[in-house]
Amino acid sequence: MIKKIKSNLFLVGVIVIYLLLFIINTEKAMLSVNNSGYYLKEMLIIMPVVFLLTALIEAWVPKDMIVNALGEGSGLKGSFISLALGSVSAGPIYAAFPVCKTLLQKGASISNIVVILSSWAVIKIPMLANEAKFLSPKFMITRWIFTTIAIIFMGYIVGKLVNKNDMPLKEGNSSENNIMVNKQACTGCGICVDAAPDYFKLENRKAMPLIDTVKNEDIEKIDLAVRECPVNAIKNKFHGNSIE
Amino acid sequence: MDIFTLALWIITLIWFIISIIKDKEKTINSMKRSKKMMGSMMGQIVGILFLIGLILTFVPPELIRDYLGGSNTILSAILAAVLGSVTLIPAFVAFPLVGSIVDMGASIMPAVAFLTTLTMVGLVTFNLEKKEFGVKFTIARNLLSFGMAIVISLLMGVVL
Repeated sequence: MIKKIKSNLFLVGVIVIYLLLFIINTEKAMLSVNNSGYYLKEMLIIMPVVFLLTALIEAWVPKDMIVNALGEGSGLKGSFISLALGSVSAGPIYAAFPVCKTLLQKGASISNIVVILSSWAVIKIPMLANEAKFLSPKFMITRWIFTTIAIIFMGYIVGKLVNKNDMPLKEGNSSENNIMVNKQACTGCGICVDAAPDYFKLENRKAMPLIDTVKNEDIEKIDLAVRECPVNAIKNKFHGNSIE
Repeated sequence: MDIFTLALWIITLIWFIISIIKDKEKTINSMKRSKKMMGSMMGQIVGILFLIGLILTFVPPELIRDYLGGSNTILSAILAAVLGSVTLIPAFVAFPLVGSIVDMGASIMPAVAFLTTLTMVGLVTFNLEKKEFGVKFTIARNLLSFGMAIVISLLMGVVL
């Protein structure tokens, strides 16, 4: 119970404020609950789909693809992809957090995450139509142009300022650690299969890893295979370039 | 539900069905991981939503209108940017509100500053963002967004 309260300190704080407000001014408290209603509805519509989406990205979008499209070396092309992704998305900015975190863990650069987050928040196509209607099309387009430039510029700056080591990425990262066999170097000697038969097999006289993700209980055996390999063709990313 | 949310639902559901058919175990494992990540966020998000309700009660949109129409443009632009950072009113309320102020003859600079920080800078979501992306990232992104909102509003004032 205490642990639960501790991890939800913010929510508990808000509830306490509400309770106090109910005692002091019931009318204002009721008004606040009513005001929150719209946002709660919005959340209930968007969060289940965001949940499914993050799971699907995690399962099916290959890391290489994310690194290519949105990684450090993706340049201006990456910025535009990010801008497009953020613009066609739906929902408030907090809905972008889980999606962005998943992309970050899959190798997207910090700059591009800033672009996705910001455009997710500001540039919404239905909102642009609204803006043109209530202000003017000229106002909307001018603001859109300036905002787009500002977002890409901000992404660049934040990417320079912040390092991935400054981010709490540890938890999900362990799911992304895979074993790699360098096909060119592998001689097909089969030593790794003898060392860790549950994790490697020989196929076309080359070693093939049998699992995608490395869990803690697997490390020992896999490390043995890594060490035994006479040509050092096996890499276990669990130790390699993970952020820990 | 607007059309984009609907489209997101449809695409995601189709993808999800294909995913289940292709590899049920993999899909379920990913969902478990996703659940773990989102689970820690949900408490925060619900807290944020109720906090927004509170803020709207004490800083109603009508009050914002009074501030945005101030006579000193630069000062009211900065004030508008601050107000936009603190509040989180829905766009379909914000645009008519800002539109009516501009129609009344107020300068557009505060209006732009307000609209931009409203969505881009999140004081109420700060805590959640910090937890997920780290302090440095969150401060850098929010401060820069605030600064950019002012710059955009000044440029808009010059151009329009």
